[in-house]
Amino acid sequence: MTETDPWAALRAARAQERKTLDEPSGKAILASFGIRVPAFRVVRSNGDLDAIKGELRPPFVLKVVSAEVVHKSEFGAVKVGLKDEFELNSALDAMRATLEGRGIRADCWMVEEMVPAGLECVIGGVIDPEFGPMVMVGLGGILVELMGDVAFRICPIEKADAVEMLRELRGVALFSGARGREPASFDALVDALLKVGGKNGVLMGCADAVSEIDVNPIIVTRDAAIAVDARFILTPLA
Amino acid sequence: MSALEQFAPLFTPASVAIIGASASSVSAGNRFIRHMKTFGYDGRMYPIHPSADEIEGLKACASATDLPGVIDYAYVAVAAAQVPSVIRSLTGRVRIAQVMSSGFGETSAGHGLEQQVAQAARDAGVRVIGPNCLGVYSPRGRMTFTERTSADLGVVGVVCQSGGLGIDIIRRGQNRGLRFSGLVTVGNCADVSPSELLEYFLESPDTSVVGLYLEGAGDGRRLFEVLSAANSRKPVVLLKGGCTRQGQRAAASHTGALSGHERGWKALAAQTGAVLVDSLDAMIDALLAFQCLLPRANPTRRAVLFGNGGGTSVLGTDAFAKAGFEVGAFNPPTLARLEALNLPAGSSVLNPIDIPAGALQQDEGKVAERVINAVQESRAADVLAMHINMTVVLSFRHIDMLGNLIEAALRVKARDRVGMHVVLVLRSDGEPDVEQRKREYRQRAVAAGIPVFDELIPAVGALSALRHVETFRAHRTDA
Repeated sequence: MTETDPWAALRAARAQERKTLDEPSGKAILASFGIRVPAFRVVRSNGDLDAIKGELRPPFVLKVVSAEVVHKSEFGAVKVGLKDEFELNSALDAMRATLEGRGIRADCWMVEEMVPAGLECVIGGVIDPEFGPMVMVGLGGILVELMGDVAFRICPIEKADAVEMLRELRGVALFSGARGREPASFDALVDALLKVGGKNGVLMGCADAVSEIDVNPIIVTRDAAIAVDARFILTPLA
Repeated sequence: MSALEQFAPLFTPASVAIIGASASSVSAGNRFIRHMKTFGYDGRMYPIHPSADEIEGLKACASATDLPGVIDYAYVAVAAAQVPSVIRSLTGRVRIAQVMSSGFGETSAGHGLEQQVAQAARDAGVRVIGPNCLGVYSPRGRMTFTERTSADLGVVGVVCQSGGLGIDIIRRGQNRGLRFSGLVTVGNCADVSPSELLEYFLESPDTSVVGLYLEGAGDGRRLFEVLSAANSRKPVVLLKGGCTRQGQRAAASHTGALSGHERGWKALAAQTGAVLVDSLDAMIDALLAFQCLLPRANPTRRAVLFGNGGGTSVLGTDAFAKAGFEVGAFNPPTLARLEALNLPAGSSVLNPIDIPAGALQQDEGKVAERVINAVQESRAADVLAMHINMTVVLSFRHIDMLGNLIEAALRVKARDRVGMHVVLVLRSDGEPDVEQRKREYRQRAVAAGIPVFDELIPAVGALSALRHVETFRAHRTDA
């Protein structure tokens, strides 16, 4: 049952009084709803890195998994563009040293296939005190708060709502490839938005267990929308 | 039981009980009885009083158990602490009770008492509206809770969470030409929620547009569900107080930081076709537009302005354009047609069409009808906004130019077969005689289905509300 129940890790984290869900578990939830996530492996030591070879395609991304790290990029806790196991090993050593220097404990590490460049977007969720689950889409990835180019809807949304949300964004022209940039798949993001905010989506499934969700960034390429990070903020068990 | 069946006794009660009328002074209950009598309520009224035989000329009952049969509506205005026991005493005696008393959840000490009211309502099987409200206005049921309310039947239904604002909506609204199917003040909503009364108005055949003023929290989800299910069957205009208060939660995510109270209400409007407005006047403007105009299948886009006054034409064009309407040039056939009318010197037949009063007076303003006819028959406009500077037009005292201009609009409206919206902007300087003329013409125009606004900017706001509903319906039909 645990293999097929996407919420098992979420229940366990709440039972352990954790405030957030770790990234691998969050991504497993997204993947179980059909949202694309990069192929990844969880490693606990340098020794585990050998097993990556042949399973994941370089270049790799190394990330720390730690309840104590909120915004990974601000801690130097993400390293991208690693070409092989050698670079992975030294990046892991360096990252471990940096975090230990700051007194931060790593739970484990993630090695991911690096996602190709694309339009950095955000899908989010919040449990509104008045309306219950609401879904958000926005442009700018981790810069979303600076740009403020977002649209909200009350869940569950339908496809027409998802389309309207994207059209509401000031930067919607970016999807058709403004100023010589690669186009980004409008349809793939609509699809991901429905999988988060739709009738059988992520938010309707966990509205009683989370307060907020960030899928940020979700990188939209010519033909896919790939969730590069996933944060679930948990509500305490009653 | 449908909401229509459940709340019909609220708007057309055959009998009314009054709890809280005084035998020796004039309390809220006494004033209610007086208002009802003045308004011509023709059902039975039963004051309940432990000792008096008669109150306000009506025979009093000593207690609820003495009431003859089941009473449709009880007006309750007693001290807050007595309300729960009064509600319990109505068990099996009253269908709907409205509690005017204050001192409940709106005060720091009253939350517990409000919960007791809700519990008493459930235990008694009585639906309770309020507490902390003012009453119901229903011209059809000859019910009112305040003075100077119109007896005319109308199609506007309103649920209002503020009593005082409810009086504003009735009184200011009726002077703007609004006519109501009903207005209910709901106060703290301990038992009956605003969305339940919204359901009533959505089901009521007497109502074609609904206004909501909400300020409390907690009913949003149900409101969303009711509005979603209604799928914009009737236009709903929503004024939400307290929109700017941000969520109290400290956000732990980007999404949380970007979310706020107002986002939800905007989302609600986008998803259900409800129109969100931000002032009392904007609400009245929008309700008036929906009372008068039938939403078009093709959303309103092209506006033609016609009036006297170059400056107003320019500012009006800006207002329409800023709101996303197109004030475009006429196509050659339309232009040729307008030019063939040989308008008086000084006129401009481009859009906006501007004919100064000095030019209009040559044929006492009768040319106006030929102009707007040409616009209508050439299907050049989704909306025609006719604006009149009354001060200037009325200064030509030897002729009834104003009358002729407005008659022209009324006749064109009556002949309309192409679904062109016609709106009238009567611009006054506030002089009593000008205001008086405006009143007269406003009532005539609104009765004929032409909404009248004081300025072009509120007209644009009301037309934007109309377009929101038209666009929502057009999109949802496509999907």
